[in-house]
Amino acid sequence: MFARVNLYYTVLRISIAERLVYRVDFALGTLMRFLPIVTQIFLWDAVFQGMSGGIKTIAGYNNHEMIAYYLLTMVGRAFSSMPGLASSIARDIRDGTIKKYLLQPIDMLSFILMSRLAHKLVYYAVAVFPFALVFWLCRDFFKGWPDAGTILAFIASLLMSFLLGFFMEATLGMIGFWFLEVSSLLFVYMLVSFFFSGQMFPPDIMPYPWPQVLKIIPLQYLAYFPTAVFLQKVTGAELAWGLAAEAFWVVFFFFSARTMFHYGLKRYSAYGG
Amino acid sequence: MSLIEITKLAKSYSVFQKKEGLGASVRGLFSRSYKTIEAVRGIDLTVEAGEFVAFLGPNGAGKTTTLKLLSGVLTPTTGTATVMGHVPWKRENAYRRRFALVMGQKNQLWWDLPAAESFRLHQHIYNIDPQEFQKTRDGLAEMLDVARLLSQPVRELSLGERMKMELIAALLHGPEVLFLDEPTIGLDVVAQHNIQTFLKQYQQDRKVTILLTSHYMKDVMALCRRVVIIAQGRIIYDGSLEGILDRFGGLKVISLLVADGQMPDDLSRYGEVLKIEPPRAKLRVERSKVTEVLAAILSRYAIDDVSVEDPPLEEIIAKVFSDNREEVVGGSS
Amino acid sequence: MSNITTYWRVFRTFARNSLIRDMTFRSNFIIDSISSLAWVFLNVVLYLQVFRFTNSIGDHTGWGRYEFYAFFSTGLIVNALAQMFFMTNIDEFTDLIRTGGLDFLLLKPIDTQFMISLRRIEWSSLSNLAAGIIVLVYSMTRLPHLPGMGQCVLYGVYLICGVAIYYSLMITLGASTVWMGRNLTLYDFWFYITTFSRYPMEIYTGQLGRPLRFAFTFIIPVLIVVNIPARLMVRPLESQNGWLAGFALLATAASVAASRWVFLKALAGYRSASS
Repeated sequence: MFARVNLYYTVLRISIAERLVYRVDFALGTLMRFLPIVTQIFLWDAVFQGMSGGIKTIAGYNNHEMIAYYLLTMVGRAFSSMPGLASSIARDIRDGTIKKYLLQPIDMLSFILMSRLAHKLVYYAVAVFPFALVFWLCRDFFKGWPDAGTILAFIASLLMSFLLGFFMEATLGMIGFWFLEVSSLLFVYMLVSFFFSGQMFPPDIMPYPWPQVLKIIPLQYLAYFPTAVFLQKVTGAELAWGLAAEAFWVVFFFFSARTMFHYGLKRYSAYGG
Repeated sequence: MSLIEITKLAKSYSVFQKKEGLGASVRGLFSRSYKTIEAVRGIDLTVEAGEFVAFLGPNGAGKTTTLKLLSGVLTPTTGTATVMGHVPWKRENAYRRRFALVMGQKNQLWWDLPAAESFRLHQHIYNIDPQEFQKTRDGLAEMLDVARLLSQPVRELSLGERMKMELIAALLHGPEVLFLDEPTIGLDVVAQHNIQTFLKQYQQDRKVTILLTSHYMKDVMALCRRVVIIAQGRIIYDGSLEGILDRFGGLKVISLLVADGQMPDDLSRYGEVLKIEPPRAKLRVERSKVTEVLAAILSRYAIDDVSVEDPPLEEIIAKVFSDNREEVVGGSS
Repeated sequence: MSNITTYWRVFRTFARNSLIRDMTFRSNFIIDSISSLAWVFLNVVLYLQVFRFTNSIGDHTGWGRYEFYAFFSTGLIVNALAQMFFMTNIDEFTDLIRTGGLDFLLLKPIDTQFMISLRRIEWSSLSNLAAGIIVLVYSMTRLPHLPGMGQCVLYGVYLICGVAIYYSLMITLGASTVWMGRNLTLYDFWFYITTFSRYPMEIYTGQLGRPLRFAFTFIIPVLIVVNIPARLMVRPLESQNGWLAGFALLATAASVAASRWVFLKALAGYRSASS
């Protein structure tokens, strides 16, 4: 048991060292990533200004909340996005690197999860500065800190969004066992998740029944749900149900990734790779 | 005035030195250390029209850099050069129409398209008259025996076939000077031979001037009379192939056929014994002592046959390269 | 004169060869077309939502629903053109520098920048170009006045100016890899810088907005790229248009000249990768 932990700790450490080498890219890339937010702020400002009438809200969002929404989805995506995960799994399958996991006494999904975790930790270590800077600059868009319970729920939803994003992408990558060319599928996933996660705009602003539909799909937990929790758009029983549903999806995709890996590997060794 | 004139040509560049380890790579963000690499350290050379010159030298000796300087890809640090009266790195169109560069390790043809399409592109780039173009292309394709492959995507060709296509592409506009950088690298013996034969024929027919770098002595022996040896960015030899022996081949090999199978047991007195396989023996002897040694052996033993040979050229050149390297390493310490 | 015909013939051969290549990988071509259309579609969905709640982007800016759609489609058209002719090429340019593939281009008796910039034509961008034109025509018919002939000609001229400014920016970014090596990909840089050109310049107001508007108009003139042609098309009568249109011509000339200068500097600093 101890050896196991030690092994994964080593994987984590090596991955961290590897990622740190690229820290300039990280810092630059993270700052650049906020540029679209700047234009979003101005765009929504203009949209709200252009509205007629006294109380200017869109689907329950006022101007400040709308900006806060976009800023917070960035946090959500920082946890849930897994750049290149599915495509690297599919590539490993295609070029046979996957055999490595058959030979070494290490479980592939745990290994990839560890290196992703390392990747994310280093990312946060560097990204926390630009994030803090941007949020401090934009502090007026927020109504102040929410209560402790909300913050706890927010953190829980973020952590689960990391796991959900990971297992969803891993599941997608496993499709590579059955189809050689998955890149176009992945592109579709990218577009769909950009839209359905609420990263592009809050699903609430769509006409009935779209918001209801979007909130059934697990993709909303990648960005919309954590954001809505922080902004206290979901509270009370709805919040509890939301967290439970998110946990359910994490478990669901955990098993789906495992199952696909299991059967994929069987198929792979049956065909000899 | 010679066709190619090179005076004190030198090229150096500084490279960012990457260091190992985490701390070093962080420090590297603030201060970078550079290392100056002197690729070519002052070369003087003249080449007359119609010559076929080989550049020999170990990896990193500066052969390719010299060709790149002469074709205007690189600008020298100091020194001058003219090719057909043009300064190459001015990159004048008038010059660029008159030469071609072929690199064995790079390809300029469109990977996913038939070679014929790339040729057509060259026709327009060099503004070649359509009839002239067709004639040249078909002639070259026939000489190189690739006419049936013209409409096949380049990625489906073998390395040798691809190299032939590269050659055709380079020759379409009828260059007067041709720079060939390792044109036979990675090719099998047959393909190498084909390309050598082609180059020889082409040079004889067209009287073009060719500068060639190669690792393969076979290329050089088959094609070039004049050899320039470059090591550590300097020319250390310029002359005929045979002249290399006089300059660097300080040793000769004496082969003996001993009569009666009575192998003498003191051969090592005369020189380094390479091989004894009764009734034959091989001795390596300094060039100046050959007559003396032969006289001594012939007077003392019964010998049926004797021959004196130069050691293989490849061996000599390999030795020249390694000697030169030691010298420089020794010099810098 | 014969010079121009040479360049035209070479360009045609580039276009032809690219088309042959695209047709050999037909499924890729179709996927590229569809996926870029999908991205356009998502944006349309967003703006449809926005205009459910408001009639204008900004208060009295003149960017009502159909004016804005015309603006959006102009952005699509400029982007599609820039991508069709230059994007792939300049992305490959950075590779050519790293791998030393630039060598062959330097040997050709034809302008090197021309060769680098137009080697591949991305025919799949035609789908976005078509989408842009359709949205433009649709929104023009919804506006009170149809544009006149002169307006259309001006629109064309300023589209070309916009593409030229984008191109200058791309080639400058691409050429700078000679000195910097490669950190972010050109596509990333590109995406982030051009986000500023995606919306009407009037939205940049206030303490932060004014300097931004100034910087992206006068220093890196990306705001001009879409704004000027779109304005001339849908709001031709505004007083500001005169000097903006004049400035746009100046900015285009300056960008092209500056990028040419950077490009030539980069070529001089080019160190052909050995072997």
